[in-house]
Amino acid sequence: MKNAGRREPNVIPGFGITLGFTTFFLCAIVLLPLSALVLKAAGMDFARFMDVITSPRAIASYKLSFGASMVAAGVNMVFGFAIAWSLVRYDFPGRKFVDAIIDMPFALPTAVSGIALTTVFAGNGWIGQYLEPLGIQVAYNWIGITVALTLIGMPFVVRTVQPALAEVQRDLEDAAETLGAGRFYVFRRIIVPTVLPALLTGFTLAFARAVGEYGSVIFIAGNMPMKTEITPLLIVIRLEEFDYAGAAALGCVMLAISFVMLLAINLLQVWGRKRMMVSR
Amino acid sequence: MSIALDQVTKRYQDQPVVNDVSIEVGEGEFFVLLGPSGSGKSTLLRAIAGLTGIDHGRISLHGRDVTHVRARDRGVGLVFQNYALFRHMTVADNIEFALRVRRMKAAERRARRKELLQLVALEGMDERLPGQLSGGQQQRVAVARALAHKPQVLLLDEPFGALDAKIREELRRTIRAVQRELGITTVLVTHDQEEAFALADTIGVMNHGRLLEVGNPNDLYTQPATRFVATFLGAANLLLARQSVDGIRFGATPLSAEGAEPLQGGREHEVVAVLRPEEVEVGTAREDLSSDFIARGAVEEIVFTGALERLRVRLLDEPSAAQLLGAGSASGDPLIEITRTQPQRRELPLLAGAQVALGARRLHVLPTPISSFLACAPTEAEAAEIAREPLLESLSTRMKTRVSLRAIDGLAGTPAPFAGVAAITAGSQASETVEWLMRHGAGEVLVLPKNAPSPARVFIHWTDEAVRRATLAVSASLLRHVSAEAVYLGIVPEGDATGRGTPMRKLLDARSEAQQSHGLEMRTELAIGETVTEITRNLSTGSSQMLVLGITDITQAGTAYRTLLAAQPGWPVLIVYRSKDWGPGRQAARSAPEIAA
Amino acid sequence: MAGPSNAGEIAAELSTRPGHRSLGASLVRWLVIGVSLVFLGALLAAPLAAVFAMAIEKGWTAYFSSFADPDTRAAIRLTLLTAAIVVPVNTVFGITAAWCIAKFEFRGKSFLITMIDLPLAVSPVVSGLIYVLLFGLNGWFGAWLMENEISIVYALPGIVLATMFVTFPYVARELIPLMQQLGNDEEEAAITLGAGGWFTFFRVTLPKIRWGLVYGIILCNARAMGEFGAVSVVSGNIRGLTTTMPLHIEILYNEYNFVGAFAVASMLSLLAVVTLIIKTLVERSGYRRR
Repeated sequence: MKNAGRREPNVIPGFGITLGFTTFFLCAIVLLPLSALVLKAAGMDFARFMDVITSPRAIASYKLSFGASMVAAGVNMVFGFAIAWSLVRYDFPGRKFVDAIIDMPFALPTAVSGIALTTVFAGNGWIGQYLEPLGIQVAYNWIGITVALTLIGMPFVVRTVQPALAEVQRDLEDAAETLGAGRFYVFRRIIVPTVLPALLTGFTLAFARAVGEYGSVIFIAGNMPMKTEITPLLIVIRLEEFDYAGAAALGCVMLAISFVMLLAINLLQVWGRKRMMVSR
Repeated sequence: MSIALDQVTKRYQDQPVVNDVSIEVGEGEFFVLLGPSGSGKSTLLRAIAGLTGIDHGRISLHGRDVTHVRARDRGVGLVFQNYALFRHMTVADNIEFALRVRRMKAAERRARRKELLQLVALEGMDERLPGQLSGGQQQRVAVARALAHKPQVLLLDEPFGALDAKIREELRRTIRAVQRELGITTVLVTHDQEEAFALADTIGVMNHGRLLEVGNPNDLYTQPATRFVATFLGAANLLLARQSVDGIRFGATPLSAEGAEPLQGGREHEVVAVLRPEEVEVGTAREDLSSDFIARGAVEEIVFTGALERLRVRLLDEPSAAQLLGAGSASGDPLIEITRTQPQRRELPLLAGAQVALGARRLHVLPTPISSFLACAPTEAEAAEIAREPLLESLSTRMKTRVSLRAIDGLAGTPAPFAGVAAITAGSQASETVEWLMRHGAGEVLVLPKNAPSPARVFIHWTDEAVRRATLAVSASLLRHVSAEAVYLGIVPEGDATGRGTPMRKLLDARSEAQQSHGLEMRTELAIGETVTEITRNLSTGSSQMLVLGITDITQAGTAYRTLLAAQPGWPVLIVYRSKDWGPGRQAARSAPEIAA
Repeated sequence: MAGPSNAGEIAAELSTRPGHRSLGASLVRWLVIGVSLVFLGALLAAPLAAVFAMAIEKGWTAYFSSFADPDTRAAIRLTLLTAAIVVPVNTVFGITAAWCIAKFEFRGKSFLITMIDLPLAVSPVVSGLIYVLLFGLNGWFGAWLMENEISIVYALPGIVLATMFVTFPYVARELIPLMQQLGNDEEEAAITLGAGGWFTFFRVTLPKIRWGLVYGIILCNARAMGEFGAVSVVSGNIRGLTTTMPLHIEILYNEYNFVGAFAVASMLSLLAVVTLIIKTLVERSGYRRR
């Protein structure tokens, strides 16, 4: 039993075969196809590559994807915090039910939420009909996109903030109270700083998911070039035009964003752990 | 008084977790609340801090009623078991927190912080984060933080719980020193009796939400009034003895003991005596003992623990020997615990199996009226069934006492005298049985309906003032072991010419006697009408109720209370009988430990 | 002894606290709950209700007859087939990966974990795109596949591969933290008592991780049946042949066949509801997500 890198002898069998299988499968399903994308883009002329990814239509789609995702994640940060707070701190009729349906966007196919949101928020929809007279048109513009992205990002924020909020030791608030702090002061100085890493992690997760989202957006977006066309849709359009290289170039941009997001999430988690370091 | 709690009660889902607790803590006193987990001590501390509301009673700090004052306006400092330091703030920010809230100027804050850090010996740690400190250091910071706003009262909730033994001792010394230096009134909650002894000026022992006894550490250890305190404050052998006019004796051997109640009316009865392991003398033969002989036995087990040697000795079953109570004896294991110091050990080295004679250097008799239970029924099998009744089983377990069995077929002949509390089943035969038992020496009889639950409320009533003291003592003993509410029921016959003044005064007298002599907090209720009807009506007001009834006339049990004892499904009734002839004169005498209680 | 721990008890205790029953406190409380519920109502409940309302808008007969459509049936069959292939494969992978990562120490472990999580961060469209680039006509293997008359893209294999990529991490990321937390002690004990590797896995490890496994599988299944973006890119949308249920919804919706679209959507919504119910039951049985 001599396996490289193992620190101590281990009686449990199966290291070689499981590692081998895992690595092989990972390569076959994930890494090989992803490298195909990168190599395809790398095979392009650099100027042509830059042309594709900086074309006005692409730039407009980035702005929309990033802007709407940012707004959606921001909205989720506020409302997700309120929801998590309600679930952790308050008892109200139906709390357990609400807690259970938070994960709905994880389980609901994006195409379903896409057509459902469009129906509800269209000018004659259940909610849309009340917004229309106020001059707020949701469906078929950037607001609709934001609503769709808010829906799919919501559970990320709630589910990261919720445990963090539950873990804020009651003792901390009790201590602050006996020391003379008012409730708002406790909220501002104790609770928010304590859950801040979780809140930012939730924001980043929601943002990362929103940037790449496709299914729930295309129904409500209207898909007007330069106006309501998100980057993933642009990739699909390039593909339908058999412009594989163009699609690959845009795909590379998206992939790069994914890596940056992954890095950001990991850094946030490290920061959060450090900040709340517990020594015993 | 620096801290005054008056009849504080706190319930969670209708279960009292703090039950009628009254405490007074003097200025600058170090008060330790001691009790097992779940005894309500932490809840009580949180109530003092204002972190939990109370359902009944009053809390005052330095004469100010703070019952309805918010935690942040109470001016207390609270230290938590898990430090509860703000992890995203530096030590300096943590300590200055209370000052910042109070908008103190930066320079003053700094000065105060330096002062506090010096007090807890953490100078120079200002800019560290809590995560960079050791557990002991974190708790020092927590203490400094709690003292920053110069609170009138310092509260500590198991502050050493999360620390290892060495650091614990060191921090204990620091806290004692800080407390002395500042002269601040302090309440500390712990489950560790050693910690309580080391720190306390006064210890209050809690169990099942009740405050059982309050006193200085030495008094509580040497002269406990209750079984629980006797066993919780250290290892204790509980022995059954008989008290007669000659004094205390085991079998035939009389011996001297402290704390025994004055005997009432010359009636011999059973008592519980506490014998600490270190007070047992071990000799090879009875003649070698310098103290009172209690039993002979065989050494079962010897454990060397460093400074002390622990012995477990099996008592020989001889008529003259002491009888052991407690968990050990229930499983048929009459083992007595003994500790010996190294010099004692060298004097008489022992091996397992050795035959020894045991003596008691110091024996303390508990002033508890319930020594043991005796299940009585026509056959032994039926008696065994009574012994398995849930209420009796839980009472005997909690009281660390035993239930013996006795067949009393036909209620005829002259039986051996009854000792302890007799227990019988309720029913139409109950009243005759009670009468017969009492004629043959039983002082207390517990009448149990089948599967009666543990009571949530206990009504107390006596027919004659002559039995008041005994009834209160029995009630107090009972209520120390069940978490129930005590209600004294005063009944005035309809159309009584004396008016309401006299019964009201009696009511208040009863309440203050219960509180002062027995540490029993009880509510009082006054009813007008026929006694048995009123008792029955009150018992029927809710589920899980029980009655303690004091009588002076044996025939009463058979006549007036017949319907009560025969009712279906019925209530547990504990009848306390004392003959009127024994006279009230003796009741004035009060023994020392009772005052401590 | 640190006081009550769950939300209900905390709320109950707080309300007894002196000064905590003020008007302001309950105002804030109901405001926060109210805002949360309105937000969830508009974003979650209303759309979900709309799916069912739209599906039966023209009556139950129209609703049920939409399932008689052969293309719809083909879509349902394709979805079930895809899930039936993808879920077991990813389950086996998940268990294998978790075993290797949780039970052993080796260099590059955290890199491996990051790579397993990677598909979650990649846009579904990119997930589809990479297979088109690999197996499409102009792809690396395109020419070779053409020669051997194997079609992957715009056919079942492509759909399966794209779905597999998307749902790749679900089981693994559920099991890895769970198994890491449970530690090796019991397995080591079993092996020192003479048990073999398989025996140890089935008798010692599997019972401990079963709830986590169920959790991972149902989420994997929900995503596999509902994936849209990745499948959309590789499927080619050939009606009745390469359209899964979500793709079929899009086709029907774009044809303004709303009853048909929402009828299929209602089935997928039911799937989501069932998934949530199982998930809640699993959590109730004591399983805690890490």
